[in-house]
Amino acid sequence: MLWTIDTASDEPLFAQIAARVRAAVSAGELREGDRLPPARTLADSLDVNVHTVLHAYQDLRDEGLVDLRRGRGAVVRAHPEYVALAAPLAALVDAARRAGVSPATTASLLHAAFAQPTPED
Amino acid sequence: MTAQGTTVRTPVPHRLATTLLGLVLPFALMTAGALIALSWRDELPDPVATHWGADGPDGFSSFAGALAPLLLGLVLCVGAWALGFWAGRDGGARRIAVGTSAGLGTLFAVLLVGTLAVQRGLTDAADAPGVGGTIVGALVGALLVGIGVALIVPRDAPQPTSARVDPRAPRLPLSSTQRAAWSRTVASPAAVVAAVVAVTASVVLAVVVGAWFALVVPVALTALLAVTLVWRVTVDERGIEARSFVGWPSVRIPLDEVEGASVVHVRPLPEFGGWGYRLGRGGRAGLALRTGDGVEIRRTGGRVLVVTVDDAATAAALLNTLADRSRA
Repeated sequence: MLWTIDTASDEPLFAQIAARVRAAVSAGELREGDRLPPARTLADSLDVNVHTVLHAYQDLRDEGLVDLRRGRGAVVRAHPEYVALAAPLAALVDAARRAGVSPATTASLLHAAFAQPTPED
Repeated sequence: MTAQGTTVRTPVPHRLATTLLGLVLPFALMTAGALIALSWRDELPDPVATHWGADGPDGFSSFAGALAPLLLGLVLCVGAWALGFWAGRDGGARRIAVGTSAGLGTLFAVLLVGTLAVQRGLTDAADAPGVGGTIVGALVGALLVGIGVALIVPRDAPQPTSARVDPRAPRLPLSSTQRAAWSRTVASPAAVVAAVVAVTASVVLAVVVGAWFALVVPVALTALLAVTLVWRVTVDERGIEARSFVGWPSVRIPLDEVEGASVVHVRPLPEFGGWGYRLGRGGRAGLALRTGDGVEIRRTGGRVLVVTVDDAATAAALLNTLADRSRA
């Protein structure tokens, strides 16, 4: 899979790496049982510190998205809820692009939508 | 795709070394084997044993007939040498061709000398003892000589270019502050099938025949297949690399030798004559692990490398984009 990080972004590099894995799982690009590259390999490829990649992998493990085992590396676990969001997310991104709304604005709208109190039954 | 379009092709490098190690050396080994056999001629039974079954010798021929396998060895060695001499632009493929030739020469020479040595002084070849030790020795010797020779075959000298990457090749949009890498694993289903069949067959054979030495074959096969079963292909600012999961062997093309990368459909059997790291039609080197998409990298020095891997489109586009960037 393609890994990109933006050195000019305010988002920390480890968070960008973790976000890339979440997006790939959601898009079905990474499936249950797939292995992420060894931290050392990915760190060399992206020219970042190995601890940056390990930080990202540990966050993903804490979320339950991957299993981290010594000797086996990071293995993706089953995540139906991420996959369920893939289509609506793609539709949202598509709608935002067509309407000319920036990613930052779209993200804040999404945050605001979650902040809305939902009517109780 | 455009490789065939180039009119001037760089000559294949290191032809002298290829000839010395891949033709002269195996030829000398087999000649020495034949001369040793000739010097024993008067001490050998007539006919001599040339084939062994579970219960001892079961195939016999005249002295001249016993030398005949050397002709087969000669043909195979000339074939492997010719591949390296005329199509060996890729250092890895040249190493394999020359190593194979040297290994085969060793195998045929040792087999001849070993099988005749046990028959010296016999009046009836049917009394010849088993040749398990000779077979193991020939296989191990061939492997050692083949690997040793492959290691001393001269490698390709770096051939960096500053020319623009093929403008028609695919690109990936990246901003100047973005760093990108692509990584993917690819397994070889053919190798798995071959491994199971070959290992099972040779273990069964070893047990049925009761020949302990035959177990050398499955052990060697398992080791060989273990290092070529699964590969990780990586594209980053250093170039493209395919590395076995075990860590060795690996193939790498630095970014400054990339002339352009594209996606091709690969059929290992018709295009490369099988699976693995091979020389294919038109002198292309290929890590052909399965049928399907692959990245074709045109490399300086008229070399072409094909690597079968999923999502080859992204790999090719990223490689071109990173090569552009490194030459800007």
